[in-house]
Amino acid sequence: MSEKIRNVVDPVLFLIVLGLLWEWSVRFFRIKPYLFPTLSDVFAVLWNERVSMWNQGLITLLEVVVGFAAATVGGVIIALAIFFVPTVRRTVYPMITAMQSIPKVALAPLMVVWFGYGLSAKFVMAFLFAVFPIIIATLGGLAGTPQNLVEHFRALNASGWETIWRLRIPSALPSFIDGCKIAIPLAMIGAVVGEFIGSQNGLGYVILVSSSTAQTAQMFAALITIAVLSWALFLLMELISKLVWWRAV
Amino acid sequence: MMTNITNAKVQTAVAIRKLSKTYSAGSGGTLALSDIDLDIRGHEFVSVIGPSGCGKSTLLRIIGGLLPYDGAALVNGAPIEGPSPDISIVFQKSNLLPWLTTEANLNLGAQIRKKPITPADTSRMIDLLGLKGFEKNHPHQLSGGMQQRVSLGQALIVRPSILLLDEPFGALDALTRDRLNIELLRIWEEARQTVFLVTHSITEAIFLSDRVVVMSPRPGRIIEDVRIDLPRPRAVKETRADPRFSRYVNQLSELMGVV
Ligand SMILES: Nc1ncnc2c1ncn2[C@@H]1O[C@H](COP(=O)(O)OP(=O)(O)OP(=O)(O)O)[C@@H](O)[C@H]1O
Ligand SMILES: [Mg+2]
Repeated sequence: MSEKIRNVVDPVLFLIVLGLLWEWSVRFFRIKPYLFPTLSDVFAVLWNERVSMWNQGLITLLEVVVGFAAATVGGVIIALAIFFVPTVRRTVYPMITAMQSIPKVALAPLMVVWFGYGLSAKFVMAFLFAVFPIIIATLGGLAGTPQNLVEHFRALNASGWETIWRLRIPSALPSFIDGCKIAIPLAMIGAVVGEFIGSQNGLGYVILVSSSTAQTAQMFAALITIAVLSWALFLLMELISKLVWWRAV
Repeated sequence: MMTNITNAKVQTAVAIRKLSKTYSAGSGGTLALSDIDLDIRGHEFVSVIGPSGCGKSTLLRIIGGLLPYDGAALVNGAPIEGPSPDISIVFQKSNLLPWLTTEANLNLGAQIRKKPITPADTSRMIDLLGLKGFEKNHPHQLSGGMQQRVSLGQALIVRPSILLLDEPFGALDALTRDRLNIELLRIWEEARQTVFLVTHSITEAIFLSDRVVVMSPRPGRIIEDVRIDLPRPRAVKETRADPRFSRYVNQLSELMGVV
């Protein structure tokens, strides 16, 4: 079989084997459904509650996308400021790295206090989780611009803006995209954590409710939906990163 | 083409007096160049050779306005205070942007310097450097020799009066290097820019230059300035067969301590 086909067939086969193993071992060992439901039960929930699962998933997706987009814009602006403005590098940069060590999960209750139970608190949580890797990756890319090219631009008497626009930003793009790939699943974690703390909807809320009512199959259904959404977003980033093909040359 | 050499007033393109350079890095700093005096006339082709680390690149960067220095250094009569629009530089390491095509890389220098060029200029440069058919390629799709052709083209397209070349073909195999040297000579014989070439190759220096300047080990000083009296235009076979050529090779090899 060609490599292309195997790239699709192998992971699918692997998933099917895992799924069968799950189904049979739960049945074989007669595990109680509230501890570990069978895969068929989980699929049944996914199917029966597809409309509500879809709607809750859309809400979580919206939180992730908005938070991630804000983290992208904010992260790039912060990285540019840290890189090009010495005062910002001396003041803001150490503060951001220090703040990074505060567990962001612990900030969730505060965000509820500040932004309430609506979507904004989840936007902020997704943003907080996603922004740091984007800042660090973008900074790395800006600093990693080959020194000989920087000197070449200097020899050409390029203005500061021209050097940023024509040289620094394109050379930072591959690294920036890598940061985005790390940030996407983190944004998902941020959104779900935000939903745990205070929410009436979203997949995190579904998980919380399922837990309190011992509907474990529903919980698994929500977890699978989260995983699939994260994976789809990551694939999208992979596609976008193909546009920055000069990473590999 | 550019200025007609026979009519042009031959003036000093580069004038250097009592130039020295200390790099501040390291304990007490590194004295890279000491007491350099050098004049390069307009339209002259001057090569500099010397042992590795003797300060050739440092001297070239100072002329290019990329490094501060002590002493006096003038380009076209004006003290060097930064990169001059009359100067183009080509380094050993490719200066091409990986995300731009050959065409775009050729035009980049002119765009940044805001020198107007026409598509005709670009296609003429593509013809001149034998890059036809590779206009839309990106640097990684070009051979090392072709990449350096593009770098050279980017430097030439703005019609600089002074060309600084720091081992531009140093990373290439001998055959490609010879070919590019011949092309460089052909281009230079038409346009007659003032050229300052850093090289490790004695034969390359002799074949191309009007003068070969020899530098001492660090701290670099100029220990000899050899006028190359070989007729132009030069062809590989005839020039290498000339008895004066081997005499220059011997003289320079002795100065460099290789024989
Ligand atoms: N940025 C720098 N900081 C400190 N010292 C430097 C720097 N650049 C060069 N030097 C030192 O200055 C001396 C001259 O360096 P330079 O690169 O000019 O030599 P070169 O003659 O071009 O050598 P090569 O033939 O190997 O290219 C060397 O001893 C080098 O270590
Ligand atoms: Mg050098």
